[in-house]
Amino acid sequence: MSRPVLVRREQVLRGGQPLAFGIGLCVALLVGLVLLVGSGHDPLRVYGRMFEASLGDPRAWSVTLNRAVPLGLAGLAVAVAGSMGLWNIGAEGQIMAGAIGAAWIARIGGEWPSPVLITAMLAAAILGGGLLALGPAVARARIGVNEIITTLMLNEVAIRLVQWLVHGRWKDPGSNNFPLAPMLPDNARLPGLFERAHFGVVLAGVVIALFGVAASRTAWGYELRVAGSSGATARYAGISLERKVMTVLILSGGVAGFAGGIELSGAADRITEGLSNGFGFAGIIVAALALMRPSGVAAVALLFGAVQIGGQSIQTMGVSSSVSTILQALILFGAIAAGVLSRYRVEMVAGEATEVTG
Amino acid sequence: MTDPHIPTSPVDATTGNPPAVEMLDVWKRFPGVVANAGANLRVRRGSVHAVLGENGAGKSTLMNVLSGVYRADEGEVRIDGTPYHFRTPADALDAGVGMVHQEFRLVPSFTVAENVALGACDRIVRRSAVESAVGALADRFGLATEPDRPVWQLSMGERQRVEILKALWRDARILVLDEPTAVLTPGEADELGAVLRHMADDGRTVVFISHKLHEVTGFCDEATVLRGGRTVAASLFVADTDATELASLMVGASPVVTERPPAREVGEVLLEVQDLRCPDDRGLAALDGLNLTVRSGEIVGIAGVAGNGQREMAQTIAGLRPVESGSVQLCGEDRTDATPRQRFADGLGYIPEDRLGVGLAPRLSVTDNAVLRTYGRHRRGPFLDAAGATDYCHDLVDRFGVRTGPLEEPIAGLSGGNLQRLLVGRELVDGPRVVVAAQPTRGLDVQGVKAIQDLLVSEREAGAAVLLVSEDLDELLTLADRLLVMHAGRIVAEFDPTTAERYVIGEAMIGHSSSASLASSDQGSSR
Repeated sequence: MSRPVLVRREQVLRGGQPLAFGIGLCVALLVGLVLLVGSGHDPLRVYGRMFEASLGDPRAWSVTLNRAVPLGLAGLAVAVAGSMGLWNIGAEGQIMAGAIGAAWIARIGGEWPSPVLITAMLAAAILGGGLLALGPAVARARIGVNEIITTLMLNEVAIRLVQWLVHGRWKDPGSNNFPLAPMLPDNARLPGLFERAHFGVVLAGVVIALFGVAASRTAWGYELRVAGSSGATARYAGISLERKVMTVLILSGGVAGFAGGIELSGAADRITEGLSNGFGFAGIIVAALALMRPSGVAAVALLFGAVQIGGQSIQTMGVSSSVSTILQALILFGAIAAGVLSRYRVEMVAGEATEVTG
Repeated sequence: MTDPHIPTSPVDATTGNPPAVEMLDVWKRFPGVVANAGANLRVRRGSVHAVLGENGAGKSTLMNVLSGVYRADEGEVRIDGTPYHFRTPADALDAGVGMVHQEFRLVPSFTVAENVALGACDRIVRRSAVESAVGALADRFGLATEPDRPVWQLSMGERQRVEILKALWRDARILVLDEPTAVLTPGEADELGAVLRHMADDGRTVVFISHKLHEVTGFCDEATVLRGGRTVAASLFVADTDATELASLMVGASPVVTERPPAREVGEVLLEVQDLRCPDDRGLAALDGLNLTVRSGEIVGIAGVAGNGQREMAQTIAGLRPVESGSVQLCGEDRTDATPRQRFADGLGYIPEDRLGVGLAPRLSVTDNAVLRTYGRHRRGPFLDAAGATDYCHDLVDRFGVRTGPLEEPIAGLSGGNLQRLLVGRELVDGPRVVVAAQPTRGLDVQGVKAIQDLLVSEREAGAAVLLVSEDLDELLTLADRLLVMHAGRIVAEFDPTTAERYVIGEAMIGHSSSASLASSDQGSSR
């Protein structure tokens, strides 16, 4: 009798992560093939449509890029904390907190010139997200409260807060009693870039690049890496762990809040309870696939965005939304599984102790 | 003394049974380290057998081979006369060998009964049935425990009883305990001794790893002593020996490899510790009024049985552990409350005992590790000057003979000896005034040991004050200008290494304050 076990490779396979992505994609498409044939669709047409709708022409690219913006920023938020071994599971709520901050500025600054208003909105968004992460950051740094739990639970708080606002205080008097906040004024909208892409694509790219440089080239990033490698080593090197944990978690919340501000100002008409749309949770997957590196986050977010947009587009062909969601999940599963296999190999071992005769 | 190269004699002379455990000529190599170099062990069924040796003697490795955690490179393991090749701990358990590790493997939120039965219940059973079965098993062996208590509420001693119950529940006939008393209070240790005795009387076999001699003489039947990965004394009857003989076997009298450096003039006091007190991780007193001074141009050696405050002493001097009272002075200034970085700037080089967990960051590159202490110097505004850091690392690696791959690769690929050269080089490259080295040569191969020892001696020649903590008495006797013995968080004796007798040092290490420790009263300030 023998059974398979995972054995850590001596060396990670060269180019492991991009390669893993490719392999994962192919396996997922093959499994999806069975699924599509089983549900009575022509898989080639479906796949063709997915590709066309997400990456086929400039317009498709613009939609995919817009989707990649919140995914990438949420992924960055998780990766910033993750590079120190911390898990910010609260990006979903921090996106909402950021959107609340931005929406509030838009309410009071309706007459301001557009660049001023948008800058103020985005600053408020960063503050809002950071503020939501403040509690977990202090609790973690000072008394070691697990940040996974605290950030996760604050998601509910932020989402309910938006509900409360749109059902009450911020309800549009002209909305025929629907629980809707008023539309954003035009000067609160991010300018367009090309086709449907908005200027947030550039802002997100800049922020991700900025963090990439900070993580790899600055003393701050170095300290982060040391602290992420071993807390005891960081103390030995004279790095204050408490302060690092605080700044990193608050910054992580700020980045997620920024994503909320961009999403509100660039893609949404108004603040709604569906604004965060699972981006915060998807960001965890993005960060994990990018191995917590800012440089990888942009690429993963783009792929993730393309899969989402492509998956949605095939629903108009009569493919049920469940099948499209399963396809999306398969692709990500494939990428993750292949990522593991680039670090481990499968070895068969005997199931029982071999007794030597004699 | 027994011949270490025991010929195979398959049966016990008195009972006619084969030995419960036989390990023959076991070799186990790790990168840069030979942990077992032909170790032998024979354990009589129904006995409590001590495996003795200093840290790095290969005790834990040998026991991990016996319990299936490691596979031996060469050699044979026989259980009740039958040869086995264990691939996993589960294989060993099937053959009746259960191990209680130093680090407990328990689920804190589960109850005692749940932990004991975890993974070892054939089908779903009622909780109360498991609890009463575990309770009955515990009673049978005199292991006081409450099966329905969650493990997180238990003391270390109680948790250990749960680990022992786990092994008994899986019907282990041979129980291996890796330094079981390290986490126990003296009272708990005595209780454990009684339990082990009880199990042996029940026909089970206990293999007990320790370096505390009074426990061995207290409740073990036989003892095997390891040194340098080899068996130096096999299956001694404890009744026929005593702590002194065992101590000298443990520390050995092997020929000195490194030449003793010629004595030199000492200068001013550079490190002074006064009446230092601090608790250990469990809140018990680790340092209990520690006094010592180290002068420019001398190496002061600290000998002692592990767990008598040596770790905490090094950590408090380095600024990594808060003190309760007392003071630490570096170069004549009170630095009791200074941060590790300030102390480094004052000229304190610190070589921590835990290389990969404290001294180095294993996931980072060689360069990143080389600048761990000095990265502030490579700053350009907020940026780090990567080229400057790489040059610095190049110099360091060249000067201290560290063999590395590409400098931007993680250090995890380096051998133990090269890791330590990198770490020691980083601490010494600036010419520190005070060097604290904790177990700097532990686990290294012969060349690695020599290289590190030579570095420490050259620091002494350059006028540094060197405090050397080591469990290798040969090393201390060779390198130290003065030898202090630490016991229970205090310096209890001082010796001149050129004249001191080994066995007298050994007695002082185990806390027997005999004639030799006269100097203990006030050696801190005298010289």
